[in-house]
Amino acid sequence: MFAGESALGADFYLADDILLGDDFLRQLMSVGEVDLLVAIPTYNNASTVAQTIQIIEDSYQQNFIRDRVVILNVDGGSSDQTSETILNMNGRKGGAHRGITSLRTVHRVTTQYGRAPSQGMALRTVLAAADLLRAKSCAIVSPATTNLDPSWIANLLRPAYRQDFAFVAPVYARSRFQGLLARNLLYPMSRAVFGLRIRELYADEWGFSERLATQCLGQNIWNHEAIRARPEAWMAVSAICSGMKCCQSFLGPKAPPPPGSGPDIVEAIRQTVGNLFWCFETFQEHWLDRTGSEAVPTFGPEHDLTPEDKPSSQDKTFDLFRTGVKGLDSVLSSILTPETHEQLREIAGHEPEKFHFSSGLWVRTLYEFAAAYHRTVIARDHILQALVPLYRGHLYSFLLEHGESSSDEIEADSETLCLEFERQKPYLIERWKAKS
Amino acid sequence: MKDTIVQGLQQAYQNLFHMIAEFLPRLVVMLVIILSGLLVAYALKYVVRGILRLSKLDRLSEEAGASRVLRMAALPSMTEVLSRSIFWITLLGFVLIGISILNIAGLQEQISRLLRLLPEIVVAILILFLGLVIANFLSRAALLAAVNAGYASPKMVSWSIRFGIWILAIAMALDELGVARQTVIAAFSIVFGAFMLGLAIAFGLGGQGLARSFLERSLGEKKDDKTDELQPL
Repeated sequence: MFAGESALGADFYLADDILLGDDFLRQLMSVGEVDLLVAIPTYNNASTVAQTIQIIEDSYQQNFIRDRVVILNVDGGSSDQTSETILNMNGRKGGAHRGITSLRTVHRVTTQYGRAPSQGMALRTVLAAADLLRAKSCAIVSPATTNLDPSWIANLLRPAYRQDFAFVAPVYARSRFQGLLARNLLYPMSRAVFGLRIRELYADEWGFSERLATQCLGQNIWNHEAIRARPEAWMAVSAICSGMKCCQSFLGPKAPPPPGSGPDIVEAIRQTVGNLFWCFETFQEHWLDRTGSEAVPTFGPEHDLTPEDKPSSQDKTFDLFRTGVKGLDSVLSSILTPETHEQLREIAGHEPEKFHFSSGLWVRTLYEFAAAYHRTVIARDHILQALVPLYRGHLYSFLLEHGESSSDEIEADSETLCLEFERQKPYLIERWKAKS
Repeated sequence: MKDTIVQGLQQAYQNLFHMIAEFLPRLVVMLVIILSGLLVAYALKYVVRGILRLSKLDRLSEEAGASRVLRMAALPSMTEVLSRSIFWITLLGFVLIGISILNIAGLQEQISRLLRLLPEIVVAILILFLGLVIANFLSRAALLAAVNAGYASPKMVSWSIRFGIWILAIAMALDELGVARQTVIAAFSIVFGAFMLGLAIAFGLGGQGLARSFLERSLGEKKDDKTDELQPL
């Protein structure tokens, strides 16, 4: 039950904001205060959501038998009866953990936040529910993750529950050529700018504390385009810039999504890089004077690269880079400095087998893109789309260079790239502050 | 007979001399007015530019998003656009006053017609400006989408869209001015129709391979293209 009438009164302003509909509010009130909350944002996930719920319940049974827990489903208007599947699920199946049963009821709450999926709106609903239930530690998990494990849930919840961490980022075991946008752009750039070494700022699973949830809920950013698709990095950066403690928690191998199901490279860059540049702008007073970077506490290994065969021929990737640099000449000239643009033109003329996109040029290009985004030299979405061919060029260079490299060599190269980002940060600041 | 011819020539010469004697001072006055107008226009331009810079209009315009629109249309800053507009409007005013001094029959009527048309001219300019902005924005969006999707002729796609919107904007602006309405509509239909037909023929006959690849990409092999790339996240 809730602590008292005054607390209820203080929290009910949220109901005015149509975040918490009557039915949802009724469900939450019947749950009362909780210690732990795991949320599953869904959209047409009827085929996998039952398994996800089962794993979360297993995790509660194994790791948090004395704690008050809830599973929250926030749905983006599924047409495949995802919510009904959750509500019609029976209690725990089988006796996988015979003799160990929770001393508390594992509540399941489900609601629909809108008629179209939006990770931002889903997170906002989760934060509102977490705030109302006073959940001490929360985690978000994706029903699309096919190899979710009960230990993942525990690893995401514990740092905020048992210790004083506000944001818990996952660390996955990855194959050498998986998540290269994160490895070559998102991680090194966010590390250099915000000064904290969090590898997976854009992930499907993460954890956070009650304090961070309350702080983020109060922000007036929820209708912003950059937040709608990928709100997780903004949450992490909010924690970093508020001086809250962040950590990483190793989860295990991340199964790649089925071919064609994840966002393509254009959409991925629009969502993640767009969000990152927007975070640069939103939190600029926190990073403009910051130099270097600090490691964050990590539970488990900091990285784990598994061997994988070299991907098939990427000639098409190089062609797309070359035609992109040529075709987007007028667009790139309004984003990049003439020197950088000229260097890109020059490398685009190289033979594919001798092609090399240097770290220095890559970092300089990205910093100029970030500054162009900040100054809105052209429509921001166009700036992000213009980055796609250049990313493809760098990707091709990376694959050419590291097709046969060991995991350690790839890690060493990533660290070198990160240091290059940090070395050139004054250039970003100079471009950022430039008037035109 | 001879006297009549000489008398006629003398009369013509006197008339010409009289006309020139009457016209030249007016021409000089017109030139003086236009020159003064040029000086006044320049002075006003610099004064307005200075005032607008002091009032930090560009920053306000940036915050309001108007600068973004101007940049999309490849136009200079708001301060520059306004000060240049003041320059041209002032100069145009002086030129019209100067021309009216010439007292040329029919020209006065044309000038007053031009002044009566001023609201339509402003609307037509606005239509052209919006057309320019929309054409720039959409053609760039199409260029980016075509380049990132790997289409063979992204610039052609982009220019087709830009050209189509330009034709539409020009036709709308001329229609607003009421300039040979029937002719404009007919010309627009012909140009636009010819343009689309040209595209259809070029795409269907000249670029069968391109059309096939486009249709395959759009309908059949899209998934394969996506799975060709490594998962970015």
